[in-house]
Amino acid sequence: MGWRVVTAQELRDLWLGGRGLVLSFAFSLLLSVIAYLVATNHALNFLEQRESVNLTLQVAIAVGALLALLVGADAVSGERERGTLESLLLTPVSRFEITLGKLLAALSLWLAALVLTVPYVWFLGRGVGLVGDAVLSGLLVGTLLAVFLASFGVLISVFASSNRVSLSLSLLVLLALFVPTQLPSSAQQGWAGDLLLRLNPMTAGEHYVGKIVTNGHAWSVDLAWLLSPALAAAVFTAAALVAGGRFMGLRGGGSQ
Amino acid sequence: MSAAIEARGVEKRYGSLVALADLSFEAEVGEILGVLGPNGAGKTTAIRVLTTILSPTRGSFEIAGSSHDRPAEIRRVIGVLPESAGYPERQTGEEYLRYHARLYGRSRSGARAAARELLREVGLGERKGSLISTYSRGMRQRLGIARALVNEPRVVFLDEPTLGLDPAGQRQILSTVRRIAGDRGATVLLCTHLLADVEETCSRVLILNGGRVAAQGTVAEVARQAAAPRSARLRVSPEQADRAIAALGAVPEVETAAADGRPGLLRITLAQAEGHAESALRALLDGGIPVLSYELEGARLSDAFLAMTERP
Repeated sequence: MGWRVVTAQELRDLWLGGRGLVLSFAFSLLLSVIAYLVATNHALNFLEQRESVNLTLQVAIAVGALLALLVGADAVSGERERGTLESLLLTPVSRFEITLGKLLAALSLWLAALVLTVPYVWFLGRGVGLVGDAVLSGLLVGTLLAVFLASFGVLISVFASSNRVSLSLSLLVLLALFVPTQLPSSAQQGWAGDLLLRLNPMTAGEHYVGKIVTNGHAWSVDLAWLLSPALAAAVFTAAALVAGGRFMGLRGGGSQ
Repeated sequence: MSAAIEARGVEKRYGSLVALADLSFEAEVGEILGVLGPNGAGKTTAIRVLTTILSPTRGSFEIAGSSHDRPAEIRRVIGVLPESAGYPERQTGEEYLRYHARLYGRSRSGARAAARELLREVGLGERKGSLISTYSRGMRQRLGIARALVNEPRVVFLDEPTLGLDPAGQRQILSTVRRIAGDRGATVLLCTHLLADVEETCSRVLILNGGRVAAQGTVAEVARQAAAPRSARLRVSPEQADRAIAALGAVPEVETAAADGRPGLLRITLAQAEGHAESALRALLDGGIPVLSYELEGARLSDAFLAMTERP
């Protein structure tokens, strides 16, 4: 069970080393600003209470998944650059297990982000009975997206020639995934816009959360919107584990 | 006694670039084999192939009886100090070793005990709780060696363990290397470009050049086969120098005899390596010329190394 040892050590490095705490602190600051604006800003506080919760939750999911992506993107290329990868590869723990351990540790940042989000959701959504649904839908969608992005980060990290390349490429793809949310609403209508929103795991996942939190839909009504986040999570997890197990090496590009 | 390392025709290519060609050698149980070579000779590639970090393009090898196509088995029985190994700055020496002991399947308490024992063994017992970021280069190298021993390996690969260390640090590392072979009975493959390390520590030597084996054998054998002595420097009293040159000039086995810069210092060239040095010495003694010093050139490992690795 080498992956357990790797996960435990990665968690210690992430949290006791301080990186996880710094990122979580930055996350909670951001969420505080969002919650404050939603609750007090003249333009934003006309939002219906459900919409306020939805907005905060969507920011939490997006940023929490981003944090998992950042840690995932550093997982292999970072070790390679720090010169610590070789001694890890020399142990009898398989590369598959090393990848799994690192992936699980990266996801801990998302879980921490979710825990930090709960008080904000409770504060903004109290009295209308949606806190439970909001937190659970956030847990479901956020976990799928965090798994997808952390796996994607790890995958890039296995092949990247440097840590900088890994982080840059991962962030670029993340920005590309957010592009559809910036399209004018007219472009999001129609079959093409709908298809784009459904195919993109980020927009599809957040749409699903919106349906539950803002529109009060039952969980089963819009399940089709979860298809692409679930598929992305499954496919990229498998890809990261296979690529890590097969191609993790001292040089990027999968050369052995 | 079976070989602890047995490589047969191992080759590593990167496209058309041959990093290692036809590497064949054996290392016996408990011996310290020095691997010498200039930069780019293929030493690190050889270690990375033999330690399963890189897969060979051709050839086969066995480490402690495990075949190269069973890398996980090999990794269980080897310990490695890689070249330019990095260390997690925010961990203490003990935490670092505990983690690696756990990766080899030790229990928590077993890992702690092993970490403490190894740190004591390499002289870092007092600093076990210090962050690695506070360690000197020599301390990091010793920590790396301790990590290489965490699984009680049967074969230990050390890639440039004394690189960048001061003489005291080098001495300390080499003494640890001797203990690994002597006390633990492990085979050590010591990769270095420092000839003194090999002469001082190794029982046998393998010289790599351009990815190929240039020579292998005991230090004396390699020194002899590569650069059998054909010249010598000798010192006589300055006032006897001219007489010595004349006496040596009369010896048929001496091709040339001439002053070599400083007063009383002579350099002679011999027609053949074997036996001719004695004739030259006898001629001087017969002529009543005391020889203050006499040194055959080409009989040292450094001469052999240079002869085998000099590029045209």
